[in-house]
Amino acid sequence: MIVPDYYEFCCRVKLLAGHDALERMADVLAERGIKKPLIVTDKGVAGAGLIDIVSKALSVSLNAHLVADTVPPDSDLRVVNELAAFYRDEGCDAVIAVGGGSVMDTAKGINIIVSENAADLMAFSGVGALKRPLKPMVAVPTTAGTGSEVTQVAVIKDHERHLKMAFGSYFLLPDMAVLDSRMTLTVPPFITAMTGMDAISHAMEAYYCLQKNPLSDAHSLAALSLLYRNLPVVTETPGDREARLEMAVGACLAGIAFSNSMVGMVHNLGHATGSVCGVPHGLCMAIFLPYGLEYNMHKRGDIMGELLLPLAGEAEYRETPREQRAKKVVSLVRRMNSKLNELTGGRHARCLREVVDRDGVPMVPREVLPEIARAALLDGASVYNPEEADYDDNVMVLEAAWEGEPLDRGKVKGG
Amino acid sequence: MELVRDVQAGKKPFKRAYVGIFLWFTGKAVQAAARSDEQVKREFDALPDDFAFSMGCLPNGPWMVVGKEEGAVKYLGGNPEGRHQHLRLKIKNLEAAFLILTFQESTAMATVRNRIITDGELPHALAVMRVLDIVEVYLLPRRIAKLAVKRYPRWPLKRKLFGRFAVYTRTLLGF
Amino acid sequence: MNPESPISFTCLVKINSGDRALENLPMELSGFDAARPLIITGKDAADRKALRTLIRAFGDSGMTFGLFDGVTDTTDLAVIDVLKRTCLEKDYDAIIALGGAEIVDAAKVLNVSLSLKVPDARKISAETPIRGRLRPLMVVLTAGATGLETSSVSRFEGMVFRSEYLAPNLVVIDPRLADMGDGKRIAESGLAALGRLVEAHISTDKNPFRDAYSFTAIRLIAENLKDAVAGHGGKKAATAVGNGVAMSGCVFSNTGAFLLHKLGQVVYDVRRIHPGLTMSMAMLDVLDLYRRRDGHDLAALFHPLAGDEEFALSRPEDRVDGALSLLRRLIADVRDAMGKDTPRNLREAGVPWYMMEDVLERLEADPDGPYLRPLAERMWGEEPSHLKKGQPT
Repeated sequence: MIVPDYYEFCCRVKLLAGHDALERMADVLAERGIKKPLIVTDKGVAGAGLIDIVSKALSVSLNAHLVADTVPPDSDLRVVNELAAFYRDEGCDAVIAVGGGSVMDTAKGINIIVSENAADLMAFSGVGALKRPLKPMVAVPTTAGTGSEVTQVAVIKDHERHLKMAFGSYFLLPDMAVLDSRMTLTVPPFITAMTGMDAISHAMEAYYCLQKNPLSDAHSLAALSLLYRNLPVVTETPGDREARLEMAVGACLAGIAFSNSMVGMVHNLGHATGSVCGVPHGLCMAIFLPYGLEYNMHKRGDIMGELLLPLAGEAEYRETPREQRAKKVVSLVRRMNSKLNELTGGRHARCLREVVDRDGVPMVPREVLPEIARAALLDGASVYNPEEADYDDNVMVLEAAWEGEPLDRGKVKGG
Repeated sequence: MELVRDVQAGKKPFKRAYVGIFLWFTGKAVQAAARSDEQVKREFDALPDDFAFSMGCLPNGPWMVVGKEEGAVKYLGGNPEGRHQHLRLKIKNLEAAFLILTFQESTAMATVRNRIITDGELPHALAVMRVLDIVEVYLLPRRIAKLAVKRYPRWPLKRKLFGRFAVYTRTLLGF
Repeated sequence: MNPESPISFTCLVKINSGDRALENLPMELSGFDAARPLIITGKDAADRKALRTLIRAFGDSGMTFGLFDGVTDTTDLAVIDVLKRTCLEKDYDAIIALGGAEIVDAAKVLNVSLSLKVPDARKISAETPIRGRLRPLMVVLTAGATGLETSSVSRFEGMVFRSEYLAPNLVVIDPRLADMGDGKRIAESGLAALGRLVEAHISTDKNPFRDAYSFTAIRLIAENLKDAVAGHGGKKAATAVGNGVAMSGCVFSNTGAFLLHKLGQVVYDVRRIHPGLTMSMAMLDVLDLYRRRDGHDLAALFHPLAGDEEFALSRPEDRVDGALSLLRRLIADVRDAMGKDTPRNLREAGVPWYMMEDVLERLEADPDGPYLRPLAERMWGEEPSHLKKGQPT
């Protein structure tokens, strides 16, 4: 087990998981003296009937709570300010974020304003600007993938001033993360598949990138054995409660791993492809993951090979010669993508040229690859990637990922 | 007798002086490299016209500030106060700065080991880290620089020899 | 994972481990808006040496801090009350505890009295409700740790305080303090952690979040303890053991006390023998007992003890025996490395029979008494015949 010369690890989040985790959340809130929490969510989550489940669970232990479902798909400072004012006017005393990344970010923004009595959120942006615990916040994720229920960052956009504010602090970690199988039961197969691959990419990149440490490693391995086994199951049988719960726990473990050891090239290229072409994040992760593994294999082959054990089990691990294990991991990731492609009737794209929008129009024309390669140079994940990746390297990887061809590893410039 | 006594933290004058000198030297070398090396020049060209960044130690310095003034990249001294900086690379303590400036840890590795707080926009931070990597390749013998950067570059002999000569002379003579 | 059993896990402790970890303390304090900590430590030689290292690490920070270096095993609530008043008078805004469990236990109770603004700290009891965040508490681990430093438990003056908020905000594991050339202390520390970890890892309520910690910690200790004790592994091995020890406290906060822990604790209370030593005497007997009880997953120990390759090669039905034999070898190796005079049982460790009677009496009062008593008797070295009556089979 590799203990780095120096590392830090922190996940100060109370984790509750189960088929009735929401009811237990309500009990814990009542024990902590919470009287009137504000549920923050978006119209999609509310429309799917999930807030009714949360409300019902809360009303067993608490007399009052409020619901605000106005969070837009992209976090917005205006909404944050409005909801913070609502929280204050109504005398709320905790935020419960039910949803995905934008909902979590919005809830964190609200919490900063109401806890710090802030007039301008900007004063608290950056790393380490928060100096004391905020008011109670609970995160209830509605997909199994992003891991945002255990991250210490938030991004809030000021659309009027065209600004993006980033916040980083351990005080932004939610007090509680609640993983309840009921919250993901209705997620459609296509979304289930790509968010699941997002989680798998978190676990894998956390394991082979530069900031790995013993605890992030253990979280990655535990995550992978749950995710890899259950992802095809929940894609094929969305109503499987046990598999849904194991996916939620796996995604949370992967979230803990990557928020403590960071991610690399897969996210780097994924963020860039997302911003240039609007491809959903999870799909980018699914497509780039085999390439991230191949690109870094000359430096981290042995470490990647260890991932075969949680993915394939003892027999396959034992029967695969050590030097073949990393390659086997890559082929299992590709096999998973193909399986998901099949289960989603082709919607889960296996390469960039297969990515299409609702009207069937390709989202990533080949000629934008240079633009994506340039955008990737501006992304911070590159710091944690084992091998350097300049513009030419990015283009090379993007070309292969566009075609869906394995990377020619002979062309990777070793350092 | 009092149960509790107050203790004043000590000083580390030697390490402080070393870090101060090497920050000055690095600042000067960045200025020199921006004039001699095409890639460093390109990195700075892509940054805003009034771009400035600082690098130094928490809580009490020392610091170095480098920025663009009338199109030229300049070492702007050791005082980060009173001037807007787009980016601050804040090393958490003097010992960590000593590790970095004795080249036992690269800027990237120090970031990986949570020793540096990056205050500013990421693209700016990445550009500055690329510049610092190039400067390290110029200033350090290959054996040491190889440890400090992820991928030791394959430069043509001309860039390596003349570049190193130019960066050294400009750094030391300050033009 | 058994989805029908509710899963809950909390670890409020951040871990900073490795080269120059101590030097980050001023920065960590400022993250909590604190600038004037009170350092609490003990008087023994190792604590003094560690204190000098810690003070040097604050060099150049410009900070002034308070220092109380008088924690002993007789430190009581009256001392805590004086410390509390001093903290308020002198505006100390955080606590740094340097050393083992006794020191950290005192620091935790002091933190309760300060944070809850108790008018008279002498009135604090285990019933005092601790329902909210306390002031910043940071623990600097030394080789003298027992593993409970990072837990949400504090034992003080015979009382047991429990609250997730008691756990420190930060634990620092610095190679300079993890290895101070005292193999015996590292051994005791690692064995105590191993005992509690093993019990948690096989426990009936499986929990993937807690298992990630226990898996890591068992593996770190299994891979490094022998070398760290023998002084072969240098600071790296000792730091790895320190990591395992710190994680064991986080695991313990999420399990509670099982048989081995209780044995270690009671013997410590009566005779001040390090729980690690006691646990090493009883560990295999206890595991044998668990093996005969339903629901304990002893096979789960094999993977972290043996590593990936051995695990993949093993047959599932051989893993329980494999794990037990690896543990037996590990304990034997560590005890060998500790030296020839390492006591094999409590009698050799200097526990006279009249004290043993006290131990047995205390164990009998425990709900697990029928199991604990015969275990303790075996640990003493021989079974006096008059004690054999009333044992469970």
